[in-house]
Amino acid sequence: MSARPRSGLAAVAPFLWLGVFFLFPFFLVAKLSLSDTALAMPPYAPRVDWSAGFEGVRAFFAALDFETYARLTSDSLYIAAYLSSLKFAAVATSLLLIIGYPIAYGMSRFPPAQRQALLMAVILPFWTSFLIRVYAWIAVLKPQGLLNAALAQVGLGPLNILNTDTAVYIGLVYAYLPFMVLPLYAVLEKQDQSQLEAAADLGCTPSQAFWRVTFPLSLPGVAAGALLCFIPMVGEFVIPDLLGGSGTLMLGKTIWTEFFSNRDWPAASAVAIVLLATLVIPILLYQRQQQKMIEAAQ
Amino acid sequence: MTTTRRPRLNIGAVRSSFAPWTDPALEPLVRFEGVTKRFGAETAVNDVSLSIYESEFFALLGPSGCGKTTLMRLLAGFETPDAGRITLAGQDLAGMPPHQRPVNMMFQSYALFPHLSVEQNIAFGLKQQGMPKGQIADRVVEMLELVRLGGLARRKPHQLSGGQRQRVALARAIAPNPKMLLLDEPLAALDKKLREETQFELIALQQRLGMTFLIVTHDQEEAMVTADRIAVMREGQIVQIGRPAEVYETPNSRYVADFIGDVNLFEGAVTAADGKVVKMATADCPAGFEALEDDAVSVGSTAWLGVRPEKIQLHLDPPKEGPNRLAGKVADYGYLGDWTTYVVELESGRTVRAARANASRLVARPIACDDAVWLTFAPDAAVVLTR
Amino acid sequence: MSVWRKRLSAAALGVTALVLAACGKGGAETLHIYNWSDYIDPAILTDFTKETGIKVVYDTFDSNEVLETKVLQGNTGYDLVVPSNHNVPRYIAAGAIQPLDKTKLTGLANLWPDIMAYMEPFDPGAKYAVPYMWGTIGIGYNKDAIAKRLPGVAIDSWDIVFKPENLAKLKDCGVYWLDASEDMYAVALNYLGKNPNSTDLSDYQAATDMFLKARPYVRKFHSSESIEALANGDICVAIGYSGDMLQAKSRAVEAGDKVHLDYVVPKEGSQVWFDVFAIPKDAPNAAAAYKFLDYMLRPEVIARASTFTEYANANKAATALVDPAVRDNPNVYPTSDQLLTLFVTAAKEQPLLRDVNRQWTRVQTGQ
Repeated sequence: MSARPRSGLAAVAPFLWLGVFFLFPFFLVAKLSLSDTALAMPPYAPRVDWSAGFEGVRAFFAALDFETYARLTSDSLYIAAYLSSLKFAAVATSLLLIIGYPIAYGMSRFPPAQRQALLMAVILPFWTSFLIRVYAWIAVLKPQGLLNAALAQVGLGPLNILNTDTAVYIGLVYAYLPFMVLPLYAVLEKQDQSQLEAAADLGCTPSQAFWRVTFPLSLPGVAAGALLCFIPMVGEFVIPDLLGGSGTLMLGKTIWTEFFSNRDWPAASAVAIVLLATLVIPILLYQRQQQKMIEAAQ
Repeated sequence: MTTTRRPRLNIGAVRSSFAPWTDPALEPLVRFEGVTKRFGAETAVNDVSLSIYESEFFALLGPSGCGKTTLMRLLAGFETPDAGRITLAGQDLAGMPPHQRPVNMMFQSYALFPHLSVEQNIAFGLKQQGMPKGQIADRVVEMLELVRLGGLARRKPHQLSGGQRQRVALARAIAPNPKMLLLDEPLAALDKKLREETQFELIALQQRLGMTFLIVTHDQEEAMVTADRIAVMREGQIVQIGRPAEVYETPNSRYVADFIGDVNLFEGAVTAADGKVVKMATADCPAGFEALEDDAVSVGSTAWLGVRPEKIQLHLDPPKEGPNRLAGKVADYGYLGDWTTYVVELESGRTVRAARANASRLVARPIACDDAVWLTFAPDAAVVLTR
Repeated sequence: MSVWRKRLSAAALGVTALVLAACGKGGAETLHIYNWSDYIDPAILTDFTKETGIKVVYDTFDSNEVLETKVLQGNTGYDLVVPSNHNVPRYIAAGAIQPLDKTKLTGLANLWPDIMAYMEPFDPGAKYAVPYMWGTIGIGYNKDAIAKRLPGVAIDSWDIVFKPENLAKLKDCGVYWLDASEDMYAVALNYLGKNPNSTDLSDYQAATDMFLKARPYVRKFHSSESIEALANGDICVAIGYSGDMLQAKSRAVEAGDKVHLDYVVPKEGSQVWFDVFAIPKDAPNAAAAYKFLDYMLRPEVIARASTFTEYANANKAATALVDPAVRDNPNVYPTSDQLLTLFVTAAKEQPLLRDVNRQWTRVQTGQ
């Protein structure tokens, strides 16, 4: 089906949305990242002096500079935070795939009526506040927590998991699991059972059929799930802050420190801009993947 | 207006000399022995015994839900029988998973692998067999030629037309050179014209390969055109097996007579039966019915006379009195180009269908509705059915 | 600078609103207060409303950084905020808070001159702020756990939490440090015999080196979780604020007295901090804020507040009215000898602050 020419509001709405909720804030942040800190309300300079007219605007632009970015590159702490964030996101994404795939696969093999219930079970945690759920993990993982109490019952432990990278991985995997399971389930559920029968008929054992047919066909879901998890995890703040240790170095925390502790809004903005730039590639990949899935579904 | 299906008989397919089932010494390729399959309370296949021979083109024919597809899936290994046994080339298939069975299936939905190109689809089974790469390539080319898809090797399934996909599915199932090819409603998704063409291609292919084909279809025309033998199924059981002409001309029940082609059925009491001719009393003809029938029919029992529309003659002037003579008026007719089917309403109120070949372009005296007509048929045109 | 309550939001961006509208007169005046969580006796607010008819909307935060970021952004809608002493100069410089009209504050005479002297560097002439509570930074610890691991060692020195040989023995039972760079550097500089208000970056580097040697034994840097962790026995020692550590102690007692905690201000000396009331420049109802400030300057009211929070106040006239259990605790109201070892920290220039914070991040991450 060819696209109908759109007119009026329908044609403008997506751009309006993009402009108001993405481009405008983006330019604000970009502008902030080129400013300097100052003791003022709000705590940065320059600000446009509208009373000076054109001269004021010119002075404003003249005062913007890339000094903050220069500082980012000169301080190894930022680079370390970037690499560490990417590592956390990459490892957690792999773990999510390893855990999420069998769950999604299992769900898709249930009769349709029960699938609805299982789907509900995956979505159910969203009904509780995200923060409460992360706090619940503190109660489980802390030294005198539920996990160690259970381990003590069988004569093991105690394990010191809270405030370590392990706890961060547990939190990330837990919080993002639905975002991995749902896209995977969506592709696996659509799979034509007769394709599996055809594979068996052509000599595949069940596991060969999985690797030669089911898995390659689920790759769009794998890509969608992985990107859907990876992108927000790079900038994740709450989970590393609550479950991580002091040594857990992630960009979300770096931005927080710059913004609050250092009151350095330009630096926080610059880190955020660089983070966005790093994520543009996976975001574009995700968009393309979505486009492909939509086309394939037609 | 009513239309009627036009059975086509003996077009190319039937090799009258090919009749391995008549040779008691010959071991069948496939043997179903008392096979039963239940799904919950439903019995999909009920105590079916059936033999299919090497190089035979065999059709399982019946309406949807009659168990024909289940019977095929039992052979492919996708279902496990609850009772009975299935052997292939003398080997019991019990417990053998689908991937080890030397049969291949062409699925009704084709079940092509969407992520693989045409050639990769065809090579799929060959790779599983562990065939060397070079041989696979040769075999794929051979298959592509066989199904005339030479230029499309690198296309993905979604870039093909319905007919092309059908041929990829066929090539993919044939490529591993199975002992037997199973075709589940292979032509159902094609439009009429393409379906008719493809029927003949299937026959040509089967004869060229010498492979045993088992086709499942609900389309009696498809079964009759393609198959050496047809098994008509009803409610999980086989009601008749025979060559297409046998099944058509000598159905063993009202069900078969009615399912294959059109038939007029007259109920009546048997008044005489001498092993050659059966006579029946009927309100529609004072002289009664007469039919050639060498099977034993007991006098006094109720029987049905089956007469195909094309075997009934239509008269505008009253023929002489005698058996197998009916009087009525034209209630409706359908002009089909080559044939015209007339629906004649008898004095009793029941309707009879009669077909007439349009042998000449100009009809001297056209027949119109409400015209008084007479119908007659020869004793050897009718068949006596007792069930 | 207190954080003594269960923290429920990571960045404390979710602010809980406690609306006290006991007597809802139509069109009643409203006072918006933004204070540290669990930092006031709610009865004081209801009494204030009863007396004045002013409805109080009381929101809470849990870090100076959050407060300052909001106030410097402007348009918070708050009439009264409670920053800590060393942040006040930045508020003044940025023009974020308004000078007080002292004619509206009849109770100013009740303030404690000795303590007010500490405030002088931050708010010369007490033009902008009225002190609420004050306290110290020290060591909260589990008496039994420490005695077992450091037998015969007196718990009266920063050595306990800064010397690697001591920390090595405590690692298994859990050590928390404050996550507050300026406070930590101040006590560390003082401990190393340097000026806690040094502007020399090399002094800070020396403190960083000391921190890094001790860091492997520190389980977590956090400013508020230590209360709960100490109280239920998850950790055995923490650097923390006096009120927090004493709160942990009373919680442990309430929880069945299985964990025995104590708080000490080390003999080397420590930092004194103040939380002060200030009126934002754009306060919608400054008049109500003045009424509340004057109310809080009444000795009987602020004494009640101290009894509730277990922090000292800066109201000389109120000391006698505070519950003796609080008043006579030298960890709350230090002795005159102890007072001599205490110091305050000054606000840092932005470049120095940034460098110090950067060093602190290195300490935390061990990079």
